[in-house]
Amino acid sequence: MILPRKEILRRMREHPVSHESNLVITPLVYDDESDIFDADSVDLRLGSYFLLPKTMDQPFFSPDRSSATSLHVRVHVPLGHFLVVPAHQTILGATLEFIKLPSDVSGQVLTKSSVARTFIVVETAPWIHPQYRGCLTLEIANVSNTPVLLYPGRPICQLILMRISPTQENAPPDLHKNKEDDASTRLDKTYFGPVYPEAPKFKNPEDDLWKIGVTRVSTFKRTRLHITKKGWQESK
Amino acid sequence: MSAGLADLLHDAAVLHRFVDFIEEYCKEQERSQTYADASGLFFQYVEKLAAGVKQELGKEIERATRFPKRLPLLRSNIWTLKNYLRLLHALIKPAADAHTLTIPAPLVDLASQQLQRVERMKNSSIVILLTSELMYFQRPHTDIKDQARIVESFIPKASFPPKLGFIELPYSQGPSFFTNLAIYHEIGHFVYEELSNSDPLHPDMAALKSAVVRSVRKALGNGAKDPEAFAIAVRIIENWIQEIFCDLFAIRLVGPAFSFAFVEILGMLGFLSQNATLKFNPTHPAAACRFAEHVNLLRDDLWWNAIANVDADQKKLLERLAKLPRSSYKFYLDEKTLGPQRLVQVFLDVVVPAIRKLVRQVTPENATAVKRFENARSSIEDCLRVGVVPHTPTAGAPDPVSVINSAFCFYLTSLPKVVKQFEGVKAENDVAVHSLWTRRLEMWTMKAIEDAQMQDRFRRIKGAVL
Repeated sequence: MILPRKEILRRMREHPVSHESNLVITPLVYDDESDIFDADSVDLRLGSYFLLPKTMDQPFFSPDRSSATSLHVRVHVPLGHFLVVPAHQTILGATLEFIKLPSDVSGQVLTKSSVARTFIVVETAPWIHPQYRGCLTLEIANVSNTPVLLYPGRPICQLILMRISPTQENAPPDLHKNKEDDASTRLDKTYFGPVYPEAPKFKNPEDDLWKIGVTRVSTFKRTRLHITKKGWQESK
Repeated sequence: MSAGLADLLHDAAVLHRFVDFIEEYCKEQERSQTYADASGLFFQYVEKLAAGVKQELGKEIERATRFPKRLPLLRSNIWTLKNYLRLLHALIKPAADAHTLTIPAPLVDLASQQLQRVERMKNSSIVILLTSELMYFQRPHTDIKDQARIVESFIPKASFPPKLGFIELPYSQGPSFFTNLAIYHEIGHFVYEELSNSDPLHPDMAALKSAVVRSVRKALGNGAKDPEAFAIAVRIIENWIQEIFCDLFAIRLVGPAFSFAFVEILGMLGFLSQNATLKFNPTHPAAACRFAEHVNLLRDDLWWNAIANVDADQKKLLERLAKLPRSSYKFYLDEKTLGPQRLVQVFLDVVVPAIRKLVRQVTPENATAVKRFENARSSIEDCLRVGVVPHTPTAGAPDPVSVINSAFCFYLTSLPKVVKQFEGVKAENDVAVHSLWTRRLEMWTMKAIEDAQMQDRFRRIKGAVL
């Protein structure tokens, strides 16, 4: 069931933050509720921090533990300024709003229709799991032939919230009770509570593939050559 | 061409190349990074100055060609410019390094806003510099301003921004939050320097200055007739005054969080051994004396009561050091040589009360700050406990000073519990995990401050009730 505005507001206001049903969306800046709350969604704004693609020093990007952060360069664009997204380029941004989902609610992020009509596409991995907390990292692609300006602080996407049926697996952990078998068992801590767009985090390919029984894995090794009397040799 | 003119032309060309580079460097930094307003103001000044200097150099050579007798004067003009640019040169690179990704920008914004409310400090702004030293500094700006005034007489288009200060942060601490509360102390140095040079002198500053003279006379007795001894004693007392003034100034603006940050910094630098905390030296009063003043002010402003239930080692240390008797303070001129102990006594008896009065007079009265902190603390801590940015359930926001103090109390008392709760028992003693969670707490705190400032701005501009 998609949560209607009334239910969204109720979950935000009626429960304390530690309650499993509590929903957090902060900051809320509006004149009137209807500025950001639709009947079945909440508008989210673009934050001020971005990760832009970096010119690589090698011919490809290898998603592994050591090079995950080598793909991006961090940029801050304060409110009132803009960022130019070149044609056919994708950047990472984040929502201005920090959200926390209840334990029985999943979320989906969709590009705002007006934004989509400028050929800006937000999110290709739009699903948000229950209990997620943090500013949402947004993959923002300019699929048009024209550079487009993005202004931090402007609405860019909408959050749709869906209630999932309660089962033993998604039963909420009681964060107050400080149990040893705790929230850590169910929360995804890879991307926990970010307030900036986050670079991807990978394990090394061999670690992932070992889990399915693969024992021989090719890796790219960058080598450096130096000249010797015998010709070019690989540096140790 | 005469040899003198050729020399002048050579010097002018070297200077031209130098300012050309500086101008281009500032422009390039501004194009590629985002800076706080004060840094932008500083870069714009440097760019205007550089353009003006280049123009002036051309004129100087033209004058030298037409009036060879004025060569010595023109040469001295070039020297003045060179000296001033050398001074600025030392500031430009550290300022360029301090863009918004390398400093705690929301904290710097907040501190700058609070500075506006300090008496006689309206329109002041602070340029942040990153230093390679593991220490916080304020760069005295009076000398820069004096030289800027001279340069302005022949490059009138570039006038040094009034009330611009410079504060240095260790580059390693740039993005962290809690230790960077030390910037409030450094802002205090800026305020003190401005107040010392203001005309007319603030009445309480005048009273403080006369207390210094009185106390030095009292301490030195007949020795006060020796002008050199008198000047040295005054200089030492002035140094002590500044440190106490800046500590109290910071507490008035940001509450007990500053004291906690100060303990953290002294601990990080290894200055908290029993002996070190009791030693006055020619530049700093003893840490124990400073902490005693912290606790006095926190008590007077009702903060101490509000943090009574904070069960943290840092608070206990503050309390313990503050209780040490004054008689245990020792003044050392250097590592081994004891100085005149009487100077410490008169400082505490005559000068410190005047400092307290001055601080109270110049800082804004914020009678509701403690009440707001008491009201907001548990909800802020509840947010942090579940890994959420502190906020209020409705569209309002907790005020930044409450957020800072609540977050610091939470950091000191509850971090291990949160680590255990989220990461499990195995992570309880994992240093890397604790460090990661400290970083997260700091991020959430800064985000809450940023959000609160945005909402405050919105409320003020729209006049809307959120």
